[in-house]
Amino acid sequence: MPAKRTRPVSTAQQLTGLIILATLGLILVWLLVQQSRFNPAVTALQTPRSTAVAKAGPAASPQATALVPQVAGFTPLGPVQNFGPENLSDKIDGKAELYLSAGFRTLAVQSFTLTQPAGAYLEVFLYDMGEPQNAYAVFSSQRRPGSTGLSFRPNAYATTNALFFTAGNFYVEMILDRAVPDVAAVLEPFTTALVANLPAAAEGGNPAALFPQRGLVADSVRLQAADAFGLAGFNNVYTAEYSVAGAQATAFLAQRPDAAQAAAEARRYQEFLQANGYRAVQNPTIPENITILTLEDFYEAIVVVEQTLAGVHEAPSLAAALDLAKTIQEALTRKR
Amino acid sequence: MSTTAAPPSQEGGFTRRDFLRRLGYAAAVTVAAGGLGLWRHDAQGPVVQSPKKVLSGLGDFSLPNFRGEAGKMAIAEGLDRAQTVGRGLEALGGMGAFIQAGDSVLIKVNAAFATPPALGATTHPELLAAVAKLCFQAGASQVLVTDNPINDPLTCFRISGLEAAAKQVGAQLILPRPALFQPVSLPTGRLLQQWPTLAGVFTGVSKVILLSPVKDHQRAGASMTLKNIYGFLGGRRNIFHQDINGIITELALLLKPTLCILDGTVAMVTNGPTGGSLSDLKETGAMVIATDPVAADAVGVEILGRRLDDIPYIRMAAAAGAGLADYERLKPVVIPAK
Repeated sequence: MPAKRTRPVSTAQQLTGLIILATLGLILVWLLVQQSRFNPAVTALQTPRSTAVAKAGPAASPQATALVPQVAGFTPLGPVQNFGPENLSDKIDGKAELYLSAGFRTLAVQSFTLTQPAGAYLEVFLYDMGEPQNAYAVFSSQRRPGSTGLSFRPNAYATTNALFFTAGNFYVEMILDRAVPDVAAVLEPFTTALVANLPAAAEGGNPAALFPQRGLVADSVRLQAADAFGLAGFNNVYTAEYSVAGAQATAFLAQRPDAAQAAAEARRYQEFLQANGYRAVQNPTIPENITILTLEDFYEAIVVVEQTLAGVHEAPSLAAALDLAKTIQEALTRKR
Repeated sequence: MSTTAAPPSQEGGFTRRDFLRRLGYAAAVTVAAGGLGLWRHDAQGPVVQSPKKVLSGLGDFSLPNFRGEAGKMAIAEGLDRAQTVGRGLEALGGMGAFIQAGDSVLIKVNAAFATPPALGATTHPELLAAVAKLCFQAGASQVLVTDNPINDPLTCFRISGLEAAAKQVGAQLILPRPALFQPVSLPTGRLLQQWPTLAGVFTGVSKVILLSPVKDHQRAGASMTLKNIYGFLGGRRNIFHQDINGIITELALLLKPTLCILDGTVAMVTNGPTGGSLSDLKETGAMVIATDPVAADAVGVEILGRRLDDIPYIRMAAAAGAGLADYERLKPVVIPAK
C-alpha cells in the first residue's frame, strides 16, 4: 500500500508541477497548430495514386450493373463504371461538389452506340442520391430553362440532345452527342427499361405546390440542398423565380421541424445578411411580421409562418420585395 | 565518520532529499522523452516517395519581347475555328512570330472528360488540328499534345476527338504515365508543395501553347486558360476545389506559356464544366489569341457574359504577377467576322 500523503504539498512542489503541466500544455498546442497546417500533398503522395496517374473507376458492382438495362438498338461500348463519393470527381471533376453536398451515394455510367440514329453516341448517368429530395435537388439545380417538360415522370424534361429525370432516389441523365427531332422518342425504349429496373420509391410532394402560383415562372422551382445564398448550414431551401411588380425576384421557402427552429434560422439568416452589409429597412408600409433588408439596389425579405421560413432574395426594388413577401405570407397562412 | 541524514520530516518521512531525488527523476524522464522526440523529429516532413528532384515550377516558355504590357492579343470573330485562329495569328505576325524552325511544341488541351466534341466540354479537335498544322508550317520539329484527365485518359482523348485530330496532322499524343510525374514546390506557393505534376512532358520542349475552351465552372465560376493548367496536376487534386481561387492563382505562376488560344467560338455558359445538354452552349463567335494567360481569361469572362468580380482568381493571378487583368493594355486587335 502506498503511503498516504500526510502533509500539504509545498509551494515549490506545486510550482514545479504547474511548470511541467504548462510545458505539456504548450506542447499540445504546438502539436494542434502543426496538425492544422497539414500539407495535403502528403495525402496525394501516400494514396495508391502516388504515381500520380489515376486508374479507371472501380469495378462495376453487380447491383449497379443490374440497374442499367440492356436494350436492343443500344450497344454498350464498355462495362458499367461505378463511382462513389471518394472518386466522383474522377468522372465529373468540377461538378462533384454539387452532388456530394446533396447526399450523393453512387454513380453508375455506361456509354452506348445507337442503331437509330445510326452511330449516335449515348452516355447514361445513373446517380443514386439516397433520398428523393436529394435527387430533386440536383435535378432542379441544373434544369435547363426553356426545356420541354415530359409527362412520364413527375420530374422530367428533355433538351434537343438529352433527357433528364428523377425516379425515387435516382437522378438520371441520358446524353446524346447530337440534336435529334424528338429525343424522348429516340430514347424511349431505354428509358422505359431503366425506370422498370429502378427500385420503386415515392417521389415526394410537388415542390411547385409549396409556392403561390401568381407570378411564378414555370419550371423555375429549385432545391438548394446545402448552404443556400452562401450561408453555411442553410440547407434544404426551395427557391422559385417570380415576375412581380414589373421585375424579377427570387422567392425562397424552407420547412423546419417546428416554429422555434424556423424562427431561429430566420434570425441567423438576418444576422448573416447584416454581417454582409445589409441594413434593415424602416418603412410604415412594411408589416410587423415581415423583415426587409437592403444593400445597394437589392432587397431581401424574411417571413416566418409557423414552421416555415420564407422570403425574397435579391429583389430589385422595395415594392417587388414587399409584394412578393406578402403574397408568400398570405399563401402560407392560408395553408395553416 | 557518521552519516548525516537529512532531518526526517515531522510527518511521513518525506525529506527535502526525497523531493529533490524525485524531481531529478522526473526531469530525467522529461529530458529523455524530449530528446527522443527531438531525435525522431523530421523537420522536413514526409518526403516525396519518388527520389525525383522537386521542381520549383514547370517553366517559363514566354517570349522575352512579349512579356508584360509588350504582350500581344488578337480577338478574331467568327464560327469557323480554323479560320479564326489563322486570322487572329496573322494579325499578330503569324505563327512564325511565336514558333521558329526546330521548335518542339507542347500543346496542352483540355481533355478532362470523355465527351463528344459537340458538347463543348473539351478543346475542340478542329482547333487542335488547325493549331498543330500551323506549328508545323512554322517549322516546328515536333508537336506534342497532352493532358491529365483523371478518368481513363485514352478514352477521354478518343471520345473528345482529340486523339484523331492529333493523328491527322502528325502531332504526338502523350498520355499521362507514372514516369512523367515529378513533384513541384512553388516557391511562393501555399498549396503547391511537393505536388506531383506532369513535368515529364516538358522534356526537350521549347514552346508551350494552351488550347482552352470557354466554360462555366460550378466551383470556379469559369474554366478557361488558367484553369486548363490544372490538368498538369496529378494526385488527388480535387481537394484543391476547397480553395479553387487560390489554386488557380498558383497555377498561373506554375507555368508561363508561349501562347494562349482561348476558344470562345461556342461557350458553355451554364452547367459547367461538364455540361451535357446542347442548350448549355451558346454561339459566342470569338477566338482569343494572347501571350498573356490572365488577359486571355479576362476576355473570356466577357465572352461568358460575366464581370471580373464574378471570377476572383483573375485579379488574384494579376496581383501575383502572372499577367494583366486589364486586357486593354495589350491593345487587342479585333478582327471582325468575314
